[in-house]
Amino acid sequence: MEKNLYGVMAEFDTATELVDAARKTRDAGYTKTDAFSPFPLHEIDEALGIKRSILPIMVFFGGIAGFITGIGLQVFVHYIDYPLNVGGRPYLSFPSMVPPAFELTILFAGFTAVFGMLFLNGLPRPYHPAFNVPRFALATREKFFLIIEGTDPKFEYDGVKSFMVSLGPQEVFDVDE
Amino acid sequence: MADSGNFQAPAEISRLRTLALGIGGIALIVWAVGLYFNPEQALRSWLLGFIFWGGIAIGSIGVLMLQYLTGGAWGVVIRRTVEAGSRTLPVVVLLFLPLAIGLTSLYEWTHLPPTDYTVQHRGWFMTQESWILRSAIYFVIFGVIVYLLNKWSAQQDRTDNYEDAEKFLGRATAFSGPAMVFYALIVTFAVVDWVMMLDPHWFSTIWGLLFVAGWALSCFCFSVTILAFLSDKAPMNRVLGKRHFHDLGKLMLALTMVWAYFNFSQFLIIWSGNIPEETGWYLTRMAGAWGYIGVILVLFHFAFPFLILLQQDFKRKAKRLATLAVFILILRLVDMFYLIAPNPRIDTHGFEQGAFILSWMDFVAPVAVGGIWLWYFFGQLMSRPLVPVMDPFLEKAIEHGQGH
Repeated sequence: MEKNLYGVMAEFDTATELVDAARKTRDAGYTKTDAFSPFPLHEIDEALGIKRSILPIMVFFGGIAGFITGIGLQVFVHYIDYPLNVGGRPYLSFPSMVPPAFELTILFAGFTAVFGMLFLNGLPRPYHPAFNVPRFALATREKFFLIIEGTDPKFEYDGVKSFMVSLGPQEVFDVDE
Repeated sequence: MADSGNFQAPAEISRLRTLALGIGGIALIVWAVGLYFNPEQALRSWLLGFIFWGGIAIGSIGVLMLQYLTGGAWGVVIRRTVEAGSRTLPVVVLLFLPLAIGLTSLYEWTHLPPTDYTVQHRGWFMTQESWILRSAIYFVIFGVIVYLLNKWSAQQDRTDNYEDAEKFLGRATAFSGPAMVFYALIVTFAVVDWVMMLDPHWFSTIWGLLFVAGWALSCFCFSVTILAFLSDKAPMNRVLGKRHFHDLGKLMLALTMVWAYFNFSQFLIIWSGNIPEETGWYLTRMAGAWGYIGVILVLFHFAFPFLILLQQDFKRKAKRLATLAVFILILRLVDMFYLIAPNPRIDTHGFEQGAFILSWMDFVAPVAVGGIWLWYFFGQLMSRPLVPVMDPFLEKAIEHGQGH
């Protein structure tokens, strides 16, 4: 049984209890944790000690890549591969290159945001072990859940289980893989 | 019921008010000396000051309507600041008078011969009486908007229940929609008259939007500065949170980008069209010292604030955001200088047409206009509570700011 254990889950009745429990979990030194709630909880990131996402930085560099691609494409097309005289202007006309470069900046930044978000979230993922607990379906309605994952460096079944019970939850479940 | 605590402005505002009047008064006297010796330059510098400070006032009218239309916490906390800005309209009209009186010393078109093709085609539109009449109409329409929005806001303060308070909020919101359309049109007409006609032979159809966006940016930068100053003093330290500044910083970022977008659109269209009637305006501004000012604007009015404002942490710190806001305001003044100063002059005093001229009055006049305007602004800011105390969304707005 322990071999196939994904983690230990606790069920709470209110958001406040969940946030308090999350805070204690972080203070106890657990890092591979996750919380589930029917609505967004702004405090939970800070309570669980979740670090700021690196997504904004990825998006910034995605945008820069788009800008360079845009300029590079136009320099290649209009100057190197097929120079074409348009209205007597120089082949390298920076003003005319700005709109396509701008659009590619946005396109690449947008793609980085969407696909980076999916990647960082581990999506798409059709199945999650948390659903092995039947009561977990209530996470979309009225209950609040906290998981300490088995991959946590401090994870040790009995200790985690008794720690979870000490948080005063409604119920504690083993989550099978 | 809202927290009906004391939301009066702190005493520091009153001290700043006296200081503004003192500095403004001295600068006004110095400027008057300049007016005696070189009326054209003095009036052109005055126009620079008027477009910059009057722009904050007129931009405040736009932002006031905008926040009624969009709603949101930033609108509730910024409302009294922009309302005070909008109520400076009487002093803006007063500051406009030197331009109307000195019309023939400032605008080249008042000296054009009747054979000039712009005079022939524009006819009555480009006569002195129609210019003054139009400006009067602009101020009357602005006045109606300012009067009504401020009246309802004051009535809302005096209500004692949320049903009545919501009624006044609803009225202001319903009014702001159509009024916004008139606002954008009036600003377009006004800046064509006041600024674009300095060069009677040049035209740009995006001109009005440059100012709608630019003045809104001025207003945001100015309001952020005022709010950051108030944020660590009672009573606003109970209201303002880092998320309010985060939201205002985002709007500053958006408007910085819009400013660059509109300016580049104008440049790209003229560059692509490449016809002599239009390119002259940029040829002047890309030559010599004007060209360096153009580069400074691209780098420091757009690129630098853009990169700084992209960072989330920066926008959440009130004082840092206010420092950048003051920096952008200075660049706004440089931008106005770039639009106003290189235009053709009636008497060039021996300079070549389009030569770089930076007069000492370009510094003194904006200080004079600003001192007088700020004196009136601070007076208006003190005259009402610093937050709309009966607004149904006030508590939610305060709560929003305290989150993270």
